[in-house]
Amino acid sequence: MTTQEAQATQHPEAAHKRRLKAPGQRNFSKPVRFIMLGALVLFSGFPLYWMLNTALSQDSELYGQAQGWWPHWERLADFGDVIGNVPIFKWLTNSVVIAGGTTLLSLVFAVLAGYALSRFKFHGKGAAGFLLFATQMLPEALLVVPIYALFASLGLLNGMGGLILANVAFTMPVSVWIIKGAIDAIPYEIEEAASVDGCPRVTILSLVLTPLILPSVAAAAVINFFDGWNEFLLAKTFIAERDLWPASVGLASFVGQYLTSLNSVMAAALLFTLPALVFFLLVQRRIVSGLTAGSVKG
Amino acid sequence: MSLRTSISPPTGVQDQIQDAPSRHHMWQRISPYIYVGPAVIYLIVFMIIPVVQGIQLSFTKTPLVKPDGGTGVGLENYSRLLSSPQFYNSLGATILYTAATVLFAVLVGAGAALLLNQSFKGRTIVRAVITFPWAVPTVATALIFSWIFNRSDGVLNEVVGVLGVGQQGWLVDPKFGMAAVVLTSVWKVMPLVMLVVLASLQSIPSELYEATRMDGAGALETFKAVTWPHIAPTVRVVTLLMTIWSIRRFEIIYLLTGGGPVDSTNTLVVNVYRQAFSNQELGRAAAIGALGLVLSLLVTVVYFMIERRNAVKEA
Repeated sequence: MTTQEAQATQHPEAAHKRRLKAPGQRNFSKPVRFIMLGALVLFSGFPLYWMLNTALSQDSELYGQAQGWWPHWERLADFGDVIGNVPIFKWLTNSVVIAGGTTLLSLVFAVLAGYALSRFKFHGKGAAGFLLFATQMLPEALLVVPIYALFASLGLLNGMGGLILANVAFTMPVSVWIIKGAIDAIPYEIEEAASVDGCPRVTILSLVLTPLILPSVAAAAVINFFDGWNEFLLAKTFIAERDLWPASVGLASFVGQYLTSLNSVMAAALLFTLPALVFFLLVQRRIVSGLTAGSVKG
Repeated sequence: MSLRTSISPPTGVQDQIQDAPSRHHMWQRISPYIYVGPAVIYLIVFMIIPVVQGIQLSFTKTPLVKPDGGTGVGLENYSRLLSSPQFYNSLGATILYTAATVLFAVLVGAGAALLLNQSFKGRTIVRAVITFPWAVPTVATALIFSWIFNRSDGVLNEVVGVLGVGQQGWLVDPKFGMAAVVLTSVWKVMPLVMLVVLASLQSIPSELYEATRMDGAGALETFKAVTWPHIAPTVRVVTLLMTIWSIRRFEIIYLLTGGGPVDSTNTLVVNVYRQAFSNQELGRAAAIGALGLVLSLLVTVVYFMIERRNAVKEA
């Protein structure tokens, strides 16, 4: 009845393997499953489709009459002009700087701390681990007021540098757990061999270990980058100058405000969304295991 | 590349010390602190000190324009909060928002995972589409949904219009504000539940299913005997994470409703922000934030108590 069984007639062996991999999970009958999956796909997919459709509509079609159900693909040609109504490229550049800075700084701390937590026994290790675990629980909105006060006294407001410093405090703990988990999985013998050869520790870490955990470093980098890319609250609070806004704050200034044509705003939002979409799909598996490892094992 | 250069300073230090073998042992003892130190100091400066300062702020009256020039008022902020209906309304909105978001996100997400654990044609594409919302930046999410919910030209009113329902102000009518915010949040966070539960489902050994099938168990019995016991711990963890994240969620609510209509979505974090940056009262804002932190901690403690009870039961 199921696809598995239909395929079994064609490739008995392949189907057999597949059945071993995911057997017995026929919790729903076929029509029920079809309807439920259809509803889910509609729920999850429609808003994104609608963003695309709106970006490809003309402003006059959006108000006072029903918006067409199908996107006008031919408008893709004017996309550049449409986006030109919004200073999105300036804001996206700021986002890249902020997210890139956040990632770099966060990873340096994370590789060092992850290495120490994985490979050393030392006094206060439990306390350091607890600090790295507990700070993940702190709400941004509680911290934003005192950090604002701190940065005001240090003159760090209204600059991307200050924003990067604040972002790292929120993104670094997760990265430490991801890196620590990755180093845990590497057999110690490899480093031992290197240290017998008289290699100093820091060389082992940077030349031997880091290449081995590169996939995890990359996953942590993607998570950090898009945390910085998406971050809104700190950026909105710290940066008042329009030219220094990241795209998140810039685009948010259009929410519920219909002076700028909506198709331009949606086109800009699409441009802001696409990189995140592509990268998250590439690394989603790692992100899931990283997130659960970091938050569960503490 | 950049990683390597930024790690290089300690190399020099270590080389020096290796010239003096008598100090080698001491170096062994301090080196872990050199690796973990930067992260720990960083978190103390940017997390722990601000939390302490936040708590100190909550005992002062501090205007936004002079963040370091507050005057002590003792417990006044707290006593005023605890006797104001606005605070209890905000607490209620937080609990309602959190309960509804977590409930629907976990139900829909776990259901989606069960559906996607069966093999069928196009499963990869379906899974990708269901995962998409998680990757969409929150600000973009708010832009899309505020347009979908738009009172006069939004597509949702077009759809319900077909069903014979008149135009509704989804984001401006106190009847619907919370529901609209919850729906948007569920859309955004459900994929994470789905992915985590799916990963757990796929780790169930197939022998277990074979065995129950041999025993002639039906789908529901198999679920109760094999599937649920296996995924239950994962579902509990993801529920805890969803709860903590919902208590502290700011962007979606702030951007869609700003805490309105008529304060119906004025959760604690939105309240903190409005007190600090609209009413410019940092002291009161910090007090609300501190009470919100207590709420998050309570949830975590309850979770660990449940986990411990389960562990005792299993032993």
